Amino acid sequence: MERILTLHADQGDQPRLAVARERGAYDGLRKALGLTRHQIIAEVTASGLRGRGGAGFPTGRKWDFIRPQPGQPVYLLCNADESEPGTFKDRYLMERDPHLVLEGLCIAAYAIGAHDVFVYLRGEYASVGSILAAALAEAGEAGILGATLLDSPYELRINLQLGAGAYICGEETGLISSLEGKRGYPRVRPPFPAVHGFGQQPTVVNNVETLANLPWIILHGGEAFATLGTERSTGTKLISVCGAVNRPGVYEVEMGYPLRDFLAREAGGILDGRALKALIPGGTSVPILTAREAEDVTLDFESMQHAGTMLGSGGMIVFDQTVAMPGALATIANFYAHESCGECTPCREGTGWFAWIIARVLAGEGRPNDLEQLLRICANVEGRTICGLGDAAVQPVRSFITKFRAEFEALLPADQDTRPDWQRHGHGPRAARHGPLGQEAAWAEPVAGPSSARL
Amino acid sequence: MPLITIDDQPIEVETGTLIIQAADRLGIEVPRFCYHPDLRPEGNCRMCLVEVQGYPRPTVACTTPVVDGMVVRTPHAGDQARRAVRGVLEFLLINHPLDCPICDQAGECSLQDFYMHPDYGLHRSQVDPQEKVRKRKAIDLGPMIVLDSERCVLCSRCVRFSAEVTGTAELQFVNRGNQVELKAFEDRALTDPYAGNLADICPVGALTSKDFRFKRRVWHLARTDSICAGCSTGCNLRIDHFQGTIERLVPRRNPAVNQSWLCDEGRMSFHALGAAPRLTKPRAQGTGDAVNWDDAVATAHGGLHAIRRPGQPSRLAALASTSATNETLLLFWRYVSETFTAPLLDCRLGQEDRWVDEREDTLLRRRDKHPNTRGALLLGLAADPAGGLRPMVAQAQAGAIDAALILYYPPLVGAEDPATLEALATLVRAVPFSVVLTTHEGEWGRNATLALPIAAWSEEEGTYTNYAGVVQYAGKAVAPPGEARAAAAVLGGLLGQAGRYPGGSTVQARFDELAAAVPAYAGLTIAGLASRQASVYPPEGRLPYGQEGFAGH
Repeated sequence: MERILTLHADQGDQPRLAVARERGAYDGLRKALGLTRHQIIAEVTASGLRGRGGAGFPTGRKWDFIRPQPGQPVYLLCNADESEPGTFKDRYLMERDPHLVLEGLCIAAYAIGAHDVFVYLRGEYASVGSILAAALAEAGEAGILGATLLDSPYELRINLQLGAGAYICGEETGLISSLEGKRGYPRVRPPFPAVHGFGQQPTVVNNVETLANLPWIILHGGEAFATLGTERSTGTKLISVCGAVNRPGVYEVEMGYPLRDFLAREAGGILDGRALKALIPGGTSVPILTAREAEDVTLDFESMQHAGTMLGSGGMIVFDQTVAMPGALATIANFYAHESCGECTPCREGTGWFAWIIARVLAGEGRPNDLEQLLRICANVEGRTICGLGDAAVQPVRSFITKFRAEFEALLPADQDTRPDWQRHGHGPRAARHGPLGQEAAWAEPVAGPSSARL
Repeated sequence: MPLITIDDQPIEVETGTLIIQAADRLGIEVPRFCYHPDLRPEGNCRMCLVEVQGYPRPTVACTTPVVDGMVVRTPHAGDQARRAVRGVLEFLLINHPLDCPICDQAGECSLQDFYMHPDYGLHRSQVDPQEKVRKRKAIDLGPMIVLDSERCVLCSRCVRFSAEVTGTAELQFVNRGNQVELKAFEDRALTDPYAGNLADICPVGALTSKDFRFKRRVWHLARTDSICAGCSTGCNLRIDHFQGTIERLVPRRNPAVNQSWLCDEGRMSFHALGAAPRLTKPRAQGTGDAVNWDDAVATAHGGLHAIRRPGQPSRLAALASTSATNETLLLFWRYVSETFTAPLLDCRLGQEDRWVDEREDTLLRRRDKHPNTRGALLLGLAADPAGGLRPMVAQAQAGAIDAALILYYPPLVGAEDPATLEALATLVRAVPFSVVLTTHEGEWGRNATLALPIAAWSEEEGTYTNYAGVVQYAGKAVAPPGEARAAAAVLGGLLGQAGRYPGGSTVQARFDELAAAVPAYAGLTIAGLASRQASVYPPEGRLPYGQEGFAGH
């Protein structure tokens, strides 16, 4: 298999500039500087490269949206916030082949005409930041990306900015807000960042892995890239697998590689010879697959979508027979409740409500209609939020309950009364429905009619 | 201009109009929390979700401009929109405290009103009160505002107001998720002079007025549209009162004058009316006793009239007030100019004609703390460049004045100027005969021959002309105390004593006379003024607060 991203990552000393250069680092950049911006964008479009952060948006098309007015600055933001649970592949790249990432950054910046690049790195990756900063410094001293790129007159300033521990700052516009010094609140779109982004200027946000593909694409051509993988998912993908496997880690596979083979070979099989129970293919924000469903899918965007889930970030989490799904869902639900930024109502309240209900079910205090309640809340959150975190929180709740319902139902008490506690215990309108003489209290039912009924 | 339909009703609007604005113009109530016509749209509450044909998901009406041919359904007429809004409302209520019985917002609360709406409210709660997230309550944020962060629905109107309108950025959200709380930095008191508006724009009881706290349930309040009499800007407001007592002032929206805002001084200006004892009966000097009105007016005119000498300028000092209504000033001018010959006639205590335009800040306040200086100037009450109170005093001290007619209202904003009071007292003492029309007891008027009690700003209807020449109608909210009467009526009485026709006694008739007398007012009528200017909401139709044009929207 052609290794695009991990060719040198496991060879020691790759972070050192001299070593990396011997192995071809920045050759792609040198070639790119001899091309025009439009040629580079054409090459990337021909490659079929799609965003590797999770959304899978075609990179060439995203770059093509950038149409600045004369004199308007363009910004390239590198999304190194990697916070999708189960995902650690960007870290792998930045730690082991930082110059590959930096080279990709430079090519992208040149292609869209950005002279200022910000790498937004999640705060928890401070040690990774040290490696990146060292690589930047080395490359700067060597004149590769000091004030200008290599021998060209193209000015480029790369800034490293650490986050402070918020998943929502990995959301495109949340990242932009945070970088501007504000609370990491996402923004209503339209307008999109390509038109009004960082500082209200045209902005592209690209994932680390996406950028790391660019040197190879420039050196070998977009068409060559497109021969790898499948028709709609070209090239390779980094999969970071964890959970009940013998060899958790980061692996590069060609798009279209059967998941079954990946588990058996690269991941070394299920831990301790146990049976596979379920698997989340691309970060907790995508629906879970049962073992049966996981048998036939391949690792690419289309196949996953066809199976009712998504390739996402490629953060694979593997569950074996010993895992109790309600507990796993509780952990996941708590994550989203903790990370919801709070800006918009459905996500803010919905994720909190998910967490309460699931906790209550786990504690044996669930109500008989709790599962319906959870699914109803899913329907009220999905599609009604400012950003994707609301949808992301919904996917695990809905897929776990739908596909492993029996495990949840086993935790619910047999009691048939579906009313909330306070209604069962004699407080509230239902209990007060009857007056002291047992007559129906007419006011106990809500009045359906014009809201001009004032006291 | 794009043509769209909302709930099967067509409307044509300017390009760039938001869906929610188009719906408002049609009188279709799209529920909302975070949208406010005078703040930048944010789209975070998700309450204004509507269906747009061809769009896969519900659309936020307050951030989406209309596109020609759009077919929109609001929760009143669309199932998808109804379900979406029901869901959002239910989410908002799961952590909202059960404070209605003790919350001042009750009766004008968006949450209450939306919940009671049959189209998207009235769901059965699925949440135990014990589960609700608890936050801090009753936080003192200074002289104007109390914060209850548990009631907050995080609409961010106050955050945006504080950032965009006052530029003070005193309020911000802290924490994340359903733990987000509204907070002032270190709970410091809000010091900007527009903090009172926060209670208006807060759709729930999170930010409430400290001055109004626990005073009165809002459904007991009677409401009268009026104009602020605190300075020459003439902000539009509404006087909320109960059985003769003013309980609070709230802004009315007028994009041309005050947007949706009032300054704190103007908002609190009604307190000045009760600061000192009111003059409640006509009083004659010497006896110190009260006299009845008929005798008072007769004596007043008699004494003033007696100073006339045929063929010679009348030695009368007639001081009108730039705080009086246009109708009052018209009658003052008529009485003085028709009865006397070339008297000293002016309206200025100081240099109001210079101050009337001067800003005091970049938002609303102006240096001239009188509501009708422009009106007085347009009536010609400052025609003599060398005129005004101080020149009158000088002349009186030189023995050149035989009588004084003084109309004086203490300012509602700021302290009374001691120098002005001293000048007034001197004038009164220096003339043999003086008639004083004023609202409050005051040392300066103690020696006046006759002191006639008049109605204050909120007790008399009439028009005021702001610094820019916008003529605005102010209604009468409460009755004047005791035997005090509207100054216009008193001056009409004096005109009657002078054998002149005092004109129609209704404000309509007086304004028509005014429009005939002042070229700048030609063609205006009271009815045209009294109808709301540039109101976002039409006169018909239910509003969340049940109050048209309430600037809290």
